[in-house]
Amino acid sequence: MEENKKNIAIEVKDLVTHYGPRKILDGINLTVKEGEIMIIMGGSGSGKSTLLRYLLGLGIPTSGSIKLLGEDITNLSTNEMFELRKNMGVAFQGGALLSSMTIGENVQLPLREHTNLDEKTMDIMARMKLEVVNLGGFEKLMPSELSGGMIKRAAVARAIVMDPKLMFFDEPSAGLDPVVSAELDELILRLRDVMNMTIVVVTHELDSAFKIADRITVLDRGHILMSDTVEEIKNSDNERIQSLLNRTPSNEVINADEYLSRLTGM
Amino acid sequence: MPEYIAHRFLNVVEKIGISTVKFIEAVGYYFALLIESVAWIIAGSFYKQPVRIPSIFSQMMTIGIAACPIVFILSFSIGVMLAIQMIYNLKTFGAESQVVVGVALSVTREFAPLITGILIAGRTGSALAAKLGTMQVNQEIDALRVMGINPIRYLVSPALLAMLIMVPALTFFSDIAGLLGGALYTGIEIGLSFSAYIDRTMAALMVGDVMQGLFKSLVFALIITLVGASSGFSVTGGAEGVGKATTRSVVLSISFIVIADMIFTYFLNR
Amino acid sequence: MKINIQQEDNYTNIGFDGAVDLSSSSDARKNIIEILEQNKNILIDLSLVNYIDSSGVASLVEGYQIAKKLSLKFGLVGISDAAMGVLKLARLDQVFPIYNSKEEYEKDCA
Repeated sequence: MEENKKNIAIEVKDLVTHYGPRKILDGINLTVKEGEIMIIMGGSGSGKSTLLRYLLGLGIPTSGSIKLLGEDITNLSTNEMFELRKNMGVAFQGGALLSSMTIGENVQLPLREHTNLDEKTMDIMARMKLEVVNLGGFEKLMPSELSGGMIKRAAVARAIVMDPKLMFFDEPSAGLDPVVSAELDELILRLRDVMNMTIVVVTHELDSAFKIADRITVLDRGHILMSDTVEEIKNSDNERIQSLLNRTPSNEVINADEYLSRLTGM
Repeated sequence: MPEYIAHRFLNVVEKIGISTVKFIEAVGYYFALLIESVAWIIAGSFYKQPVRIPSIFSQMMTIGIAACPIVFILSFSIGVMLAIQMIYNLKTFGAESQVVVGVALSVTREFAPLITGILIAGRTGSALAAKLGTMQVNQEIDALRVMGINPIRYLVSPALLAMLIMVPALTFFSDIAGLLGGALYTGIEIGLSFSAYIDRTMAALMVGDVMQGLFKSLVFALIITLVGASSGFSVTGGAEGVGKATTRSVVLSISFIVIADMIFTYFLNR
Repeated sequence: MKINIQQEDNYTNIGFDGAVDLSSSSDARKNIIEILEQNKNILIDLSLVNYIDSSGVASLVEGYQIAKKLSLKFGLVGISDAAMGVLKLARLDQVFPIYNSKEEYEKDCA
């Protein structure tokens, strides 16, 4: 068990990505160990959501490599990627449940598409996962009948139904009240402790980040400012990190010429 | 200010260039989408990702069965309208009785597929665009992809198959409704009995006439699905984007349908 | 995954060896249900299981429910830490009759 923890689950090397002509991520290097909870933090526009998209294999990077569980997803065949995806779970920010299906059908969907399990087994598995996220008995409802927090939890249930090794959370506490948000934090910790999942959480909520993180990566304008333990991040004397931690707006010195040309567009 | 004018001119040229590139890009995307959907239908099972039969049937229900009443009403009206126009026109030659042939050929070769195509474009094509667009906005498409469920296989292939079956079926239904409308009006106006009308229609119609209409409707089904799906997938920018994509899909598919109709009619009647 | 079935006096001991996961759990399920349908008490030995996932646990849940319906004795023995974690996640550790040893189950059975 201790030996396993040293394995590297996610390894990003020199990742560069563009959106149209604009460079979004520039030279990202990141490793996440097996069973580790890594928080990716940054202000809006820092590129943290983009980084997540690429980690999920939803975009083709300009250059660099992304290894998940030892496999470089930037040059996997469709079939290999398909197999790898069975080991990945993702909880999207808005839940992203299919609105045409009940909660239960949503949670069962990966099983239905990827396995030949007995109907009864799939039923029980889906209900078990809904119990894990405290949504027992809600499987017959449609997503539109649930609150935002419940949808998020149902999305977690769907993400873990295949017992993935890698779990990604996109802004798990955004738009949730503090109690529900704390419950989700608790759940994330439990998933790691019990299932030894490797978990990546993208968030800008400091409290939740400090509570659950093993390590935190701070992104700023497409660069990694720092990737270290909670303590080290808190003690960092980097100005941008401190302004992020203290929630102070960044007051940079203005370059008059540049600013003027931005305003006039000339 | 000749320089200024030259600049304007270049701007226009540039815009034309950009829209041309965009158009070619779009057509390329339609073909890629078509090839991928068909590939999933044929080879999905090999990749352990078959296209599910139940989802095809549920699509067929919404596309086809639910559209029957409106297809009937419109086609019937078209049949009546054609009969009115033709009797009026043929009167000048004293050839009112030829109305049967006119209605039969116009309905089966042209109006039934066209009206069905336009109706389905407005009804199903827009619904497909709206559904995929909403799914795109809500990250449901991303969710499918990360679950290892190919969105084209899961969403487009069943719709394509269902459309390829149901649009011709509805067109045939529209043929019958249109002829019925023609028969009704002709019966009232020039006193031709229903059975005589049917007899003459059968005599006038060749299998080829009906087939020509059905063949066109297959092409329309392709157009509606591909335009609807690609409009949906390309949605950006929230609810407003979904609205725009829906409108776009209807306008584009109806335009493509009419243009394709003209082209096919030309070649099929050489 | 290998399955060892042993007939005891008043129960059947079924042991799984290896990983009870998506690919093997339907096999496990089938065997458990078969034993119960022969109206026999069942003890499921998980000591040789190195990995069990939710589908495996779901099979156990279904088995336990059937056993209850038929008023048969159902027991789990030799649960590894990893397996216990999966059970605990869904709070099933409080549901299943878990025994420390075969003897304990036999005593309960008698």
